[in-house]
Amino acid sequence: MLRTTLAGLRLHKGRLVTTALAIALGVMFVSGTLVFTDTLRAGFSAQVMGSADRLDAVVLPEDGAEEGLAPDTLDRVRDLPEVAAAGGVIRGDSPLLDAEGRAVGQVPTAGLSADEVTRFTAAEGALPEAADEVALATTVAETAGFGVGDTVTVLDSEGAEREFTVSGLVDFGVDQEIAFRGAVVYTPETAAEVTGSDRYSEIGVVGAEGVPAERVAEAVGAAVDGGRAMTGAEFGAERAEQAGAQADVLATALLLFALISVFVAAIVIYNTFAILVAQRQREMALLRCVGALRGQVFRGVLLEAAVIGLMASAAGVLAGIGAGYAAAEFGGEALGSGSADLSLVVTPTAVAVGLAVGTGMAVLAALLPARRATRVPPLAALRTSAVAAGMEKGTGWIRAAAGAVLLAASAAITAFAVRGSVGEMALAVVSVAAMLAFLGVVVIGPLLVRGAVAVLGTVLRRTGVAGMLATDNARRSPKRAATAMIALTVGATLISGYSVVSATTEATMTDMLERQFPVDYGLMAQFGEDERGVPEEVAAALREDPAIATVMAERRDTARVAGADGPVPVVAYPGAEVGVDITSDVAAGDLADIGPGRIAVTEGYAQGRGVGDTLELETAEGARGYEIAAVVVDMQQLMGVTMDPADFADAYPDVRESSAVYVRGADDASPAQLRDAVYDAVAGHPTVQVQSMAEMRDQFDQILDTAFLTIAAMLGLAILIAVFGIANTMALSVLERTRESALLRALGLTGGQLRRMLALEAVLLCLTGALVGIGLGVVFGWAATEAALPSAIFTLPAARIAAFIAAAVLAGLLASALPARRAARTSISGTLASE
Amino acid sequence: MSQTAASPAPHTTQAPPAVTAEDLTKVYGSGGSEVRALDGVSVAFARGAFTAIMGPSGSGKSTLMHCLAGLDTATSGSVHLGRTDITRLRDRQLTLLRRDRIGFVFQSFNLLPMLTAEQNILLPAQIARRRVDRERFDRIVDVVGLRPRLSHLPSKLSGGQQQRVAVARALLHAPEVVYADEPTGNLDSRSGAEVLAFLRDSARDLRQTVVMVTHDPVAASYADRVVFLRDGRLVDDIADPTAESVLDRLVKLES
Repeated sequence: MLRTTLAGLRLHKGRLVTTALAIALGVMFVSGTLVFTDTLRAGFSAQVMGSADRLDAVVLPEDGAEEGLAPDTLDRVRDLPEVAAAGGVIRGDSPLLDAEGRAVGQVPTAGLSADEVTRFTAAEGALPEAADEVALATTVAETAGFGVGDTVTVLDSEGAEREFTVSGLVDFGVDQEIAFRGAVVYTPETAAEVTGSDRYSEIGVVGAEGVPAERVAEAVGAAVDGGRAMTGAEFGAERAEQAGAQADVLATALLLFALISVFVAAIVIYNTFAILVAQRQREMALLRCVGALRGQVFRGVLLEAAVIGLMASAAGVLAGIGAGYAAAEFGGEALGSGSADLSLVVTPTAVAVGLAVGTGMAVLAALLPARRATRVPPLAALRTSAVAAGMEKGTGWIRAAAGAVLLAASAAITAFAVRGSVGEMALAVVSVAAMLAFLGVVVIGPLLVRGAVAVLGTVLRRTGVAGMLATDNARRSPKRAATAMIALTVGATLISGYSVVSATTEATMTDMLERQFPVDYGLMAQFGEDERGVPEEVAAALREDPAIATVMAERRDTARVAGADGPVPVVAYPGAEVGVDITSDVAAGDLADIGPGRIAVTEGYAQGRGVGDTLELETAEGARGYEIAAVVVDMQQLMGVTMDPADFADAYPDVRESSAVYVRGADDASPAQLRDAVYDAVAGHPTVQVQSMAEMRDQFDQILDTAFLTIAAMLGLAILIAVFGIANTMALSVLERTRESALLRALGLTGGQLRRMLALEAVLLCLTGALVGIGLGVVFGWAATEAALPSAIFTLPAARIAAFIAAAVLAGLLASALPARRAARTSISGTLASE
Repeated sequence: MSQTAASPAPHTTQAPPAVTAEDLTKVYGSGGSEVRALDGVSVAFARGAFTAIMGPSGSGKSTLMHCLAGLDTATSGSVHLGRTDITRLRDRQLTLLRRDRIGFVFQSFNLLPMLTAEQNILLPAQIARRRVDRERFDRIVDVVGLRPRLSHLPSKLSGGQQQRVAVARALLHAPEVVYADEPTGNLDSRSGAEVLAFLRDSARDLRQTVVMVTHDPVAASYADRVVFLRDGRLVDDIADPTAESVLDRLVKLES
């Protein structure tokens, strides 16, 4: 049986090329992800270990100790006989100013110290040696545009400007906090002066000659209070683990997409085997005639699947190793693996998982077709009729009924979720509904194909004989066509669903910004400076300026409300008319009624209270009761409790500065005038962050677009595999219809017409698959946003959907290219003469 | 060669033949494995006549038909359809020629399984975007007795009905010549007789040139004339054949 199987494989290898390719692509994604993340993880730890290995011991503050190690700790460590040298790292805030004199980033840059004992090394230039020198983190140097030799300005803890010369750049690699904040490295004395801190966040120790690292760490640990000591290697391992956790998150996300690709590949394999078994009915029957048992036929088909799966998986693993390494090489730096040289890591797991996934999937997908192969009666060998000449039997009403039940269940669950009656589980519930709907589509797939082809076909038939024949051909084997189509539907559903979510989010955000809170600029303090806000004089200067029409301040604190988890935000907007300048959709009451003693509260915090009821707040000045004037919809502009500015000042007398100030330009002010006015007002306050709402919206759009492109690229592979599946279905059909093609050619169909006929058939399949997917995607994208965001504004991403449809047409043309070429080239007389 | 004495039409002898082959040679393979399927065949088929090509298996009769119909290209020699030298045509022109001027009936697999009988009959017209002569269509459909079966798919038709559909399709656009390749090979004798009688009648009544390849002496006896092929050469030619006379020649050829 093995020999027969292998001989059959050799004979039919052309038919299996695309199937093998589909398996290989899926496996490539899986193995590639594993190799990529393993390589990345190894790169992270090599880098972390490399910097930590220079130290024999490291002391860190005990977990939860905010303060850092006491100043005298360093001296005590240095005095130990086991210690040759030690250096402390002071860590505080030191806002770096960019070329325009504004503080860089939303969070103040970190100020660090480095002396002769340090794990930091300069990637370029040198670490600071003099009091007027600093080294910058490579990340912040890049964003602010500074290089070695430049003069930079930082603000010290008093807010005074100080100038330094950049002596070098330090690559902090996987340190996520530094990657986000950026860092300025000083000599220890300067660091203490600038940051105003004399406590250490970390002490590095070099042991005395001949003392093992463990003993150094032990001795140091005994000598310090409030700190934990470990060897350099242990420290490195700990940090490598943190970095590895990042790689794990990435691996999980990528594997999810790999899984989708593998699933689509499984559909393709299933279809290929189903078609092959049908085409080789006589072959199977002959085997049974000469004495093969059902089990042997069954095992023969599975063996075939296993052999193809294994070979294709091996190719996929090899490709995955290449792809994973390429991704680590090109994408690694963006993920913080730094400039460290990456060495390829191929774990046995990555190889084994790839092979197992590919082979297992192929065998599983072939199970049903193999079972069908055993049902072929031996007598079939003696029948002379062409195997697939007849039409497939019609799809029964059982199929239609089952599909209808599934779709109805899905619709009911979706309606339930969209009503908002399932709360936080909404997204999960919508996902379940989507799965059910997908199953429903799978069940009624053949009917759907018939319907869709009938509809699309009415147009196609008008285009001539090629269109007419293509329409008829597409309806010949609805099951086969449906399976090929569904492979494409998976990708199309996910991608269009995501684009609906993305477009709806974008539209909802834009609406929130433009309708509910129409301002031009927002000014706020850098994060992490809790006590500081936007100084009152900035707001005053803005009010003076003629280019500015409205200045709205935002003051905020929190209150406790009985029955609510955690603190409730309490906000007041001096200078703004709530309900006009800033608004939310109102569930009850009127925002204009907010005034002394009367507040607005979100539905969530109202906890069933209505307009006129009293809400008791535990404020800074004790418990106070307020009458509810309006209840607003959750998750819009107004959050928590919105109160009158006078009430706020009364309840929170210590809050003197605004957490943010928003301005709206005068109608006659040009954008440039407005910009100048805002920047003039903050000139003396470099740490105040200025946000242009237009820029913010652009950034937000950009983030959404990037996310869309990333997800589209990830799903692209699944779609490619599906197109291979359609190409394969076409190729097998063409093979089956060789005689028909020859007959058509004999009757005068030109080669071009024949090619067009097959191209149209493939396009029909692709279009149907894409349209079904788009339909599902739009419905469930809508349901997901509707369930998760109560005030979502549904937006159909028409341009993107048009692009998907165009892509589907293109995919159909591509999928038919090779099969059509073969069909048009076949010799007419040779084909007609055979048999 | 133009002695078609049995032709019922009085002026057939004056009219130029519908198809002529001149020194037609077809060689498959090369060197030692060379096979000469046709070896210098010259033959002419009179307009409006029903001619059968006979010969034992491997005699080259199917190859001759394929070359005459432009389905295959000859190694040397020429084939004229009317005034057109089809051996000089390129693939596209050949396709158009087959479409517009030739009709085909094959042994099996004549019909597209996804089209109804009527769609199958009209297919060549649709491929060519020709207007269908409804009157001729009705006449042919009535003659072959397919009227009640027009909306059926081929899988619902008997073998004889399928072949009659194929014949109707070949005749619909009144081609200059209809080639039939073993049209009754897969049929029982009663259905075969129906198809053959219909081919003969259409040659007579519609003045349709028909060339049929067969190895069945009974089928050949329906023709006006039979030409015999052996080893790629034309070896005999009889007019007004009967099953007996054809069988007699065949036995001689085999010996």
